[in-house]
Amino acid sequence: MNFAEKVRREMKRIVVLTLFCLLVGSSAMSTTIEWWQFWTDSDIKPVIESIVADFERANPGIQVKLHDLTWSNGHEKIVIALASGRGPDVLELGSDWIAQFADKGHLADISKFITDDSAAFQGWSMATYDGRVYAKPWVLGTRVLFANRGLLRQAGFDDDFVPIQYVDLLRSAQAIHRLGDDIYGWGSNAPEKHRLYKKFLPFFWSSGGRVFSDDGKYVLLAAMPAIDGLRKYKQLHDEVGYVASQRGIEDAFLDGKVGYVLSGDWLLKRIQKENRDIELASFLIPGPKFPGLSFMGGEFLAVNNASENKDAAMKLIDFITSPENQIRFCRAAQAANPSSLAAQQDDYFTSDMHLQTFIKQMNLSRHPPVDPDWVRIEAAIEEAVEDALFGSGYPAEALRKASLKVRQLKAR
Amino acid sequence: MRLSRSTAWLLALPWVVTFGAFWLFPVVYSLIVGFTDYQLLDPQWRWIGWDNYRHLLTDPDFRNALENTFIFVIGTIPFTTVISLGMALLLNRKFPGRGFFRSGFFVPSITSLVVIALIFTSLYQRGGYVAMLAEMVGLTVPEYGFLQDRGTALYAIMAMDVWMSVGYYMLVFLSGLKAIPDELYEAAEISGAGRVRQFFSITLPLLKPTMLFVLVINSIKSFQVFIEIFVMTKGKFDTMTAVYFVYDRGLTTGFAFGYASAAAYILLVIIAVFSVAQFLMLRRRTPLW
Repeated sequence: MNFAEKVRREMKRIVVLTLFCLLVGSSAMSTTIEWWQFWTDSDIKPVIESIVADFERANPGIQVKLHDLTWSNGHEKIVIALASGRGPDVLELGSDWIAQFADKGHLADISKFITDDSAAFQGWSMATYDGRVYAKPWVLGTRVLFANRGLLRQAGFDDDFVPIQYVDLLRSAQAIHRLGDDIYGWGSNAPEKHRLYKKFLPFFWSSGGRVFSDDGKYVLLAAMPAIDGLRKYKQLHDEVGYVASQRGIEDAFLDGKVGYVLSGDWLLKRIQKENRDIELASFLIPGPKFPGLSFMGGEFLAVNNASENKDAAMKLIDFITSPENQIRFCRAAQAANPSSLAAQQDDYFTSDMHLQTFIKQMNLSRHPPVDPDWVRIEAAIEEAVEDALFGSGYPAEALRKASLKVRQLKAR
Repeated sequence: MRLSRSTAWLLALPWVVTFGAFWLFPVVYSLIVGFTDYQLLDPQWRWIGWDNYRHLLTDPDFRNALENTFIFVIGTIPFTTVISLGMALLLNRKFPGRGFFRSGFFVPSITSLVVIALIFTSLYQRGGYVAMLAEMVGLTVPEYGFLQDRGTALYAIMAMDVWMSVGYYMLVFLSGLKAIPDELYEAAEISGAGRVRQFFSITLPLLKPTMLFVLVINSIKSFQVFIEIFVMTKGKFDTMTAVYFVYDRGLTTGFAFGYASAAAYILLVIIAVFSVAQFLMLRRRTPLW
């Protein structure tokens, strides 16, 4: 082997070694974090992916692995992943689940990340458990009262009519109900898990009902305001209710067969997507002190306590929840309630009167107690509503049983 | 050719591993867990002895779930058994189109239970075909549909279960009937025995092993009813059954694995007692009928 050949061979070695070092070095420097999220709809998923791509561009050392969950089994998957001590770095969580996971130490305490800018977000109280913050609000959700203005007009109510008090709602729903055998005043939910209670709670809260006393010592589910709220809800159900699943109620409403429905922002999306011809009116929840209180919930982003990349995970959360990315997301999902107050000022929200109803109602909404046992408390409340509407028919007795169940649960 | 002991073990290993990992281990593990306060999300658990069992016996939801399960078992098994036996007797005769009926009755057994449950959910709803038929014959129909009424929901699911199961048990009975030698019927006919006498003196006694199989398998299946409840009512309207209770407490509301495991073991004991009782009754030498 002559000298030139030797040099060529050594050069080759050096090039291969350099390339190897570069490859190993770059992979060692890059951090991969996993994000489990629920948005799989073809309108929304690409936006999620583009937000992630932008994040990766802005943070070259961090790669994000997306994993889709479904609403039917996502909660169970998260529970099993967290119980195994592994799971993703970033989790999308429904507001009702935060306390349950935080209580058992599965979520990272992100209180130290709360800054002055945090005041620019709504919904922190839903993520605060035992004085610590465990998740960042992303997209919030409430329920408003939708009406078919055409049916209201036919029933003799002019276009300025707004149901201020419960009695206005009942009277107008009754008038609509009288329009024909196939017309109903009110869309009343069949007992669907995790849905029925959200429809009852606006009546419960607007009547002054509460789940626990301020000090958390007493269960107030069977107190007079609570019973009053259930009686009102039952009256609409009994007298003018079209009973079906949430989807069934909305179908009937969009077909012009139901006067009023209590629903979320997804109904607006459906009307637009299906090009429905309906004279839609949206109202704040009626109540003794108008406006009444509605249900508040939302989607939150949390960091798994077992994550080894908590800082990177928090970076991703901050990026996703930035006002501009919230607007991108809300436009795609046609979600009405970004958690960012700055995002709420975007034209997209201010130019639409129905989205404005949602934003106003959000400020007049109350969320369920942040309690690790909430899922079971919720089940007890749903059982009571189901019993009053479809079973015994006695609101006071049904709520008394629910109250007893919750007391026993808390005693354990 | 004799296999060496090690080769035999090697060949059996896949089954042994699967059996150990997916059957034996969960059975033993859940038995142990039933004596602890283990919750899925809580890494720390402690031994609490019989507390879960004591609490279950006073839990009104569990009592209700057991009651519903017994109603389901007692309300479906006689119908399924009698109808499927009747169908087997009819289809054991020779007539044109027999193959078509045999296949047709068997189709529900090979159809996905989830699909069947979804179809029946639609049939049972307000304004559905079942409601229309019931109204046509002058029956009172529940206001919000059969599955949304405490008085009818469980029975509606039971009716669907009977419809769905008879085809399979019909086939089992048919195979039992085929095993009865024709000579016995010929001899009975010569002796002057009518069809009813032949049925009670030949068919039924010789079908005992098949009957035992049908009753035991159907009882176990009915005690474990879950998918129908999960798809059609989610345990609402008084349709919570024992297995749904286990699922609900273990995997949806409480993640209380200890409590759910104890409930599963109570159900296991009930099924075992029920199966042994059936076995003993049908094993008796003296005729039952």
